[in-house]
Amino acid sequence: MKAISLGWLFALVCVVSADAQRRNPPPKPPAADLPKVTKIDQVRYAALIKPGTRPLLINFWATWCVPCREEFPDLVKINNEYKGKIDFITISLDFEEELNTTVPQFLKEMKADMPTYLLVTPDESAAIAMISKEWAGALPLTVLFAPSGESVFFHQGVVKPAELKAAIDKLIQ
Amino acid sequence: MRRSLLAFLAVFALVGFVTMPPVTEANGLEIGSTVEAFSLPDTDGKMHNLDSLRGKKGTVIVWLSAQCPVVAAYKDRINEIAAAYKDKGINFVGINSNATEDLTYVKSNMAEFGYQFPMLIDKGNVLADKWGATVTPEVYYLDKKNVLQYHGAIDNDRSGKNIQEQFLKTAFDSALSGKAIEKTKTAAFGCTIKKAKAE
Repeated sequence: MKAISLGWLFALVCVVSADAQRRNPPPKPPAADLPKVTKIDQVRYAALIKPGTRPLLINFWATWCVPCREEFPDLVKINNEYKGKIDFITISLDFEEELNTTVPQFLKEMKADMPTYLLVTPDESAAIAMISKEWAGALPLTVLFAPSGESVFFHQGVVKPAELKAAIDKLIQ
Repeated sequence: MRRSLLAFLAVFALVGFVTMPPVTEANGLEIGSTVEAFSLPDTDGKMHNLDSLRGKKGTVIVWLSAQCPVVAAYKDRINEIAAAYKDKGINFVGINSNATEDLTYVKSNMAEFGYQFPMLIDKGNVLADKWGATVTPEVYYLDKKNVLQYHGAIDNDRSGKNIQEQFLKTAFDSALSGKAIEKTKTAAFGCTIKKAKAE
């Protein structure tokens, strides 16, 4: 009797687990030649957006965001120009299922090698507020933090490279 | 006499400061502020003003985009909420301020997404700038007297697969039952409103 009950319980667990997998399938594994995109939660995000000893440049973007894709080549150029002088990361707001497909594929096409993270959080309001209370969440957003933590450049929409470079140059002089 | 006058002016200023309602700011709206009336054309060119579209219990102004994938992810939820609360006296009004989306595109998108509420065209993003709208979708829930009650996201999950908080519906239900709205302002990632460049 006990064995039958355990058997039914096991079957129930299998059904519930299969249903959860069906509704929330895990992301496909990445192809070997694609850049790595790291999934982060709110805790890791909070740590990442704090500058260290170098200025920290962060670009928030998504592959579904047309102006994000348009400005990306300029951001790649800036990354290449200031490598070693600033820390530059990008944070993708694509859906989780794109973690190992669309996002790294785009990065490969762009020849981008700045560390890229994909944020998955149930509290986007808090994540947005951590950057600025003036930000409503529109993408793209580019923000530059001095090592002190002060935000010295904050731009919603397609970034103007000359303006961003001027802000970076002012910090690294 | 002079001392009495100064005291009177100080008290008068203090009373005015305490009782003055929040004002509509040029660069955005504050919760509790009364929005100014506006008139905009719909996709057929017919002019509408806010009062003619207002619901008996309130109005939701929702900034939308024909192109934005986040709006696409929300379209069914927007339609469901609009239909569910229309009978309860809350009307939805869509606004498109995107300079990159022409009328033909907006109209065809409306038909494709099945919106059952008016879509107003905010050419030159005048209303978007006045209200501080920057992202799609972005909702402003006004009560029956056009006082802003809630501003921000519809719920906490763009994908719709892990909704844990229904911000807008919760605001409606609180207001309709006479309770204070706990979360009056939220934010969520979305598409930038493609605004016309200032001349």
